[in-house]
Amino acid sequence: MFVYIVKRLFQLIPTFIGATMLMFLISQLVPGDFFKAKELEPNVRPETIQRMRAEFGLDKPVYVQYVNWMKNLVTGNLGQSFVSNQPVWARIARPMRNSMYLAMLSIVLLWLVSIPAGVYSAVRQYSFGDQAVSVISYLGLATPNFFLAQVIILTLFLVRTLTKDWFGFNQLIFPVAGMTSSNYLTMNAWGQFWDVMWHMFIPSLVVATSGMAGFTRVLRAQMIEYLGSDFIRTARAKGVGHGKVTYKHALRPAIIPFVAGIGNLLPSLVGGAGLVEVVMSWPGITPTFLAALQSQDIYVVLGLLVITTLLLMVGNLISDLLLAAVDPRIRYN
Amino acid sequence: MKRLLTLISLMALAASAFAQPFVWPDAWSNATPGEAVRGGELRISLIGDPRTFNPVTSAESQALSDYLFTNGAAVLIMRGPDSDEWLPYGASSFTASEDGMTVDVTVRDGMKWSDGSPITAQDYYIRYVLETDPDVGSNGYDSWFMGDDQITVERVGDNGLRFHFPRPDRLAFPVVAVAPVPDAIFGEAYRSGGAEAVKALWGTDVDVSTTVWSNAFVPATFQPGERIILQRNPYFGEWNVDSAGNALPYLDSYSMTIAGDLDSALNLYLAGDIDQFSPRNLDDIGVINNAVNNGDIDVTVMESVSPVASSQFIVWNWNKASDPDKQALFRNANFRRAMAHVMDRDAIIDLVYNGAGIPMYTNVYPINDYWVNHDVEKYPYDPEKAAELMASIGYDRKNADGLLINAEGKTASFILATNAGNTAREQIAAIFADAAREIGVDAQVQAIDFNLLVDQLLSEGEDRPFDAILIGLTGGSRDWPFGVNVIPCATNLHMYNTSDACLTAQETLMGQLFNVGRETLDTEAARDIGYEIQATEADLLPILYAVSPMAHYSWSSALRGYHNEGQINPLLGAYELPLVFMAR
Repeated sequence: MFVYIVKRLFQLIPTFIGATMLMFLISQLVPGDFFKAKELEPNVRPETIQRMRAEFGLDKPVYVQYVNWMKNLVTGNLGQSFVSNQPVWARIARPMRNSMYLAMLSIVLLWLVSIPAGVYSAVRQYSFGDQAVSVISYLGLATPNFFLAQVIILTLFLVRTLTKDWFGFNQLIFPVAGMTSSNYLTMNAWGQFWDVMWHMFIPSLVVATSGMAGFTRVLRAQMIEYLGSDFIRTARAKGVGHGKVTYKHALRPAIIPFVAGIGNLLPSLVGGAGLVEVVMSWPGITPTFLAALQSQDIYVVLGLLVITTLLLMVGNLISDLLLAAVDPRIRYN
Repeated sequence: MKRLLTLISLMALAASAFAQPFVWPDAWSNATPGEAVRGGELRISLIGDPRTFNPVTSAESQALSDYLFTNGAAVLIMRGPDSDEWLPYGASSFTASEDGMTVDVTVRDGMKWSDGSPITAQDYYIRYVLETDPDVGSNGYDSWFMGDDQITVERVGDNGLRFHFPRPDRLAFPVVAVAPVPDAIFGEAYRSGGAEAVKALWGTDVDVSTTVWSNAFVPATFQPGERIILQRNPYFGEWNVDSAGNALPYLDSYSMTIAGDLDSALNLYLAGDIDQFSPRNLDDIGVINNAVNNGDIDVTVMESVSPVASSQFIVWNWNKASDPDKQALFRNANFRRAMAHVMDRDAIIDLVYNGAGIPMYTNVYPINDYWVNHDVEKYPYDPEKAAELMASIGYDRKNADGLLINAEGKTASFILATNAGNTAREQIAAIFADAAREIGVDAQVQAIDFNLLVDQLLSEGEDRPFDAILIGLTGGSRDWPFGVNVIPCATNLHMYNTSDACLTAQETLMGQLFNVGRETLDTEAARDIGYEIQATEADLLPILYAVSPMAHYSWSSALRGYHNEGQINPLLGAYELPLVFMAR
């Protein structure tokens, strides 16, 4: 196993270098640069823009820029943001943390809802409940997250109007934007925790819905397969109770692919929750990434891609190792 | 509207404000000091995180940076919403020399930084020193130049500053309106560690409560991606009072929630989490009005208050050596006049802006009405006239596709590029192209990446890679609203012709008028010159101006102290922050 891990780690090096070259090349194919918009300012002299470009090394050939960037990268320096003139890491660390919060809660919600739903669908195959779970799953799968978020925002406003008319309560039951309340800094630690959770519930629910469909359907199929297998029939014949058969004998092997997939969650933890973050004004990595793309703050974009690539590679390795750990039929040599 | 006093009259005036402290005029607010209520918070939104807290290196323009670094700071001189007259603010007095080459300023006594230390002439002088060092990389660097000649500042006595201008300049006073930076921090860093030490100061990782400001409100906490809260500067009221002598500001705090984009900002506004929002269009206004009618929020909506401070236009490329036919067509004034006659501004206003727009005929933004020459040739929408003009240049018959052709069988066709994603511009281009097609001119609309568009527009030489571009410009001045990089030939935003020389007598004339006008200190005389520039441009018509959309405002009904009616627009702003208060 140890030799296998070392071998895999060495294999990651050329993959990583190839990925960085590709990223850098693609980033250079985009027309213009960070200072392009400045050229449209009627009172900024061209020589000033030239000087700014030189300061960030943008006047150098592409390969020189790449080598300089890689030199920094091996020392752990992701480069400097043009926008804030700060190290890239300082610019992305906090949004990454915020996205991680969101991703973790959505994963918890996803597992909490999907496992019982998948098991129920498999055990009560073709029942009304199974069909209802299927319809809801497919709806979740078919509805883009950013759209669902907007629908929920609209619903929250609608609910406010109703609660105002019925009960005189003119407040939103969940926030429609942001991560904290305006008085956040005056709260104690417990209050701050709940405030973030309160803001996080809707966006993480939205993120979870898209995963629920796939998770539930795959788990249902896995469960049906295992529930029809010989060892389950044997267990039932030996008098093992229904619950034990379902949750111990069938669910355990059925859930193996999901456990093995935990490694792949690594990049998604910091990769951002996508446009939900934008729609709900969550200060995560997606808005940061989009803002960096828009302003061509290229080292921030590359920094985020490098981290995601690294985590993807490490996550894949972890997944493979977990697979071997949970499934005795798989061995590495 | 009161007009800008000429610099000459300002020299005679030798404006002074010996009285301490600075008294904020009643005319700058729609409420009287007697109505003002102390306490409360004004909550607004920001689109993104501030990029830096360093006032010297900041290059952004959004509510926080505009407030902290310029508009809200103790600038030496400033203007209120009721007049174009410059008033001493951080200065106790200022005097311009008769030849317009120097301005002497005496710094006001009694001003204090938010840490209680005095604001001195050195705090202003060091800003000049830092901004004029190219290694510091300040965004204000270019403002210290007239062409290639630098504007200089010298210290005079303990609290005096003298600004030297290489030539008389209408844009002198905006240069004098410099904001201080604490010499004890920035000057010290510069003297000990040079430009790099200055650049390293006050990034977004700074503990904002340790930063020092001259403003009414100063940053107290900053949560990246979430909000920044500014608290009342306890020393501001010592030298800023209302007309009744009450210390300003009235509010306790000023907070900015980072919304990410305007859709989220609108959600925050509808949720009652912020007190002010600038609706982008009539759709936003409809949503807000709906919430008001439902009784969900209690806000004031001001629709179509004034035009925005930007332009939108089509420019044809005169440097197209690789396609002599197109080059000849684009250089032909009658072709451009024909195209002007198919620019249906009324349709654009109705279809693109739902009626909230104003036609534009010259390079001066309609918001700067004082400078707009309303008598220029307008070439109103008239397809028949357009067809006649096309016929006059040889395009007098149509081919089987209904396109105009000349004697050689060549069609009048061109690609009209604009930036993808800007839906208003894409719609304007489509309306224009449809109207052109009606008379047989083939304008093919192409939406391309913004940077690619700018690359094409700013390309130089005899053969540039575009036909026509629909784009806009922002920026400019109330004192001389003509772009230094736009009007004169061989400047980078002289977009229709970036060859080394003027190609027409009108271009040469406009360049000369620009230089004369900028050095003309008498405002009315300068305006006459500005009128001539616009008339000359309208005759040459190198740029076809379209429409300026209108600006809208909305704020909580609880807020008072905004500008009076007619004094709210994107150039003047909506309020003077120290005078704003929460009525309930």
